[in-house]
Amino acid sequence: MNGQIKFILNGKDVVYAGSAAARLLDVLRDEYGLTGVKCGCKEGECGACAVLLNGQLVNSCMVAMGFVDGSIVLTIEGYKETARFAALDKAFAETAAVQCGYCIPGMVLAAEAVLAENPHPDEATIRSGLSGNLCRCTGYNAIVKAVQAAAEEGAGLW
Amino acid sequence: MVGGYIPFGMQEALEILAGGGCVPYAGGTDLMVKESAADTRYVFLHRIRDLKCITVDAEYFICGACCTYTELLRSRHTPAILKEAISQIAAPAIRNTATIGGNVANASPKADAALILMVTDALVRLQSKRGVRIVPIKELYLGRGVADILPDELISEFWVPLSRARLPYFYEKVGARKALAISRVSFAGIADVSGGRVNHVATAFGAVEDVIVRREEIDGMLTGLSVAEAQALKGEYLAAYDAAIKPIRGRVSAEYRKAVCGNLLGAFFDSHIK
Ligand SMILES: Cc1cc2nc3c(=O)[nH]c(=O)nc-3n(C[C@H](O)[C@H](O)[C@H](O)COP(=O)(O)OP(=O)(O)OC[C@H]3O[C@@H](n4cnc5c(N)ncnc54)[C@H](O)[C@@H]3O)c2cc1C
Ligand code: FES
Ligand code: FES
Repeated sequence: MNGQIKFILNGKDVVYAGSAAARLLDVLRDEYGLTGVKCGCKEGECGACAVLLNGQLVNSCMVAMGFVDGSIVLTIEGYKETARFAALDKAFAETAAVQCGYCIPGMVLAAEAVLAENPHPDEATIRSGLSGNLCRCTGYNAIVKAVQAAAEEGAGLW
Repeated sequence: MVGGYIPFGMQEALEILAGGGCVPYAGGTDLMVKESAADTRYVFLHRIRDLKCITVDAEYFICGACCTYTELLRSRHTPAILKEAISQIAAPAIRNTATIGGNVANASPKADAALILMVTDALVRLQSKRGVRIVPIKELYLGRGVADILPDELISEFWVPLSRARLPYFYEKVGARKALAISRVSFAGIADVSGGRVNHVATAFGAVEDVIVRREEIDGMLTGLSVAEAQALKGEYLAAYDAAIKPIRGRVSAEYRKAVCGNLLGAFFDSHIK
């Protein structure tokens, strides 16, 4: 029999004493107040709830807390502290890639996952890396341009 | 722990399952979509190393049930036909957690990785505290959403015969949307044609009937024939499938599904039986 669920959340050790069957999305928002993690569908379809789990992009609505035990979770709040975020933030602003902003936390983390795997991605690689993140406002072109710009201007960061 | 157990090894997991009342949790991408009961207890499988192997021996491609799609796409051992199907499943965030074992155990007729295991006549290794069973995948499916997996059993591995997995293949998924499409109709075919003879043909259709369609007796019509004889039999072969396939009604009409199946089968035949 095991005890509590321990993991690293945005660089800090945390112990979660609730149910192993609870949704990571709900726990991040309700227990830890990390409301940058958005809820769009709770069906794995939209990517608004995306976080990095051990460096890999996952939809937090599709993850139960037991799965998180022993892992490293990074949300947009933690990622915001990094130089890589600064590069993406600047690029998203300069290409006007943000409208309502609801999809953007997930989109930025998806962009991080793309660039971490391939620092010089072509357009098709970017589009496929972002394919699980839906944006109702922008039509994606500006977002793809922003990721390209971040890759160029943030050279060496990834 | 409320809500589940996180075993470190296979034996521990099988002990817990033998106690009853628990649901195996692999990647969670099917489980978390369903509304779970408040008292659900999961057995989380992600720590169990035995369920993560990817390798080949002289005869088989072997992969653990808890290999994620991302892991399978990265491995040099994974057969091309399986990679092709997996690369079209959902989007990266889903592929990073969803597992091949969950795809099979969920027993959906739309399951894309399971379709490839069906067309290649893979074997499924099931393990419980009581012992090991090895079952041809076709025998695992009892009905829509119903697999012959007992409550105390786990799928541990899939064994895919290399003699099948490395044959020239045809794979097509006719879906509603490009990313995230739960396929409407999917088709896989493999053919071993050499020295002017058809040595082996296998096909599988997904999202058409309650379980993935795999009809060895119809594909067997072509086995052992010369290419010319097989080509002369094309009409009969297509007609046999047309008579056999009984599409369920769904969002897309039964007639449409059947027509798509016929077109895919014809395209496979023309490109591979020659
Ligand atoms: C947005 C979205 C898009 C999707 N797109 C596709 C698609 O294009 N094609 C497709 O085929 N599927 C798709 N799926 C469905 C799903 O991702 C896959 O079926 C996946 O492979 C399930 O694996 P999992 O590890 O997440 O399963 P889980 O949810 O963990 O488990 C599924 C079932 O299998 C059981 N189980 C899991 N592992 C074992 C084991 N080792 N032994 C015994 N029982 C076990 C569980 O108890 C549960 O009943 C999609 C899902 C989502 C949310
Ligand atoms: S809220 Fe998780 S993918 Fe939409
Ligand atoms: S900016 Fe509004 S959903 Fe993307």
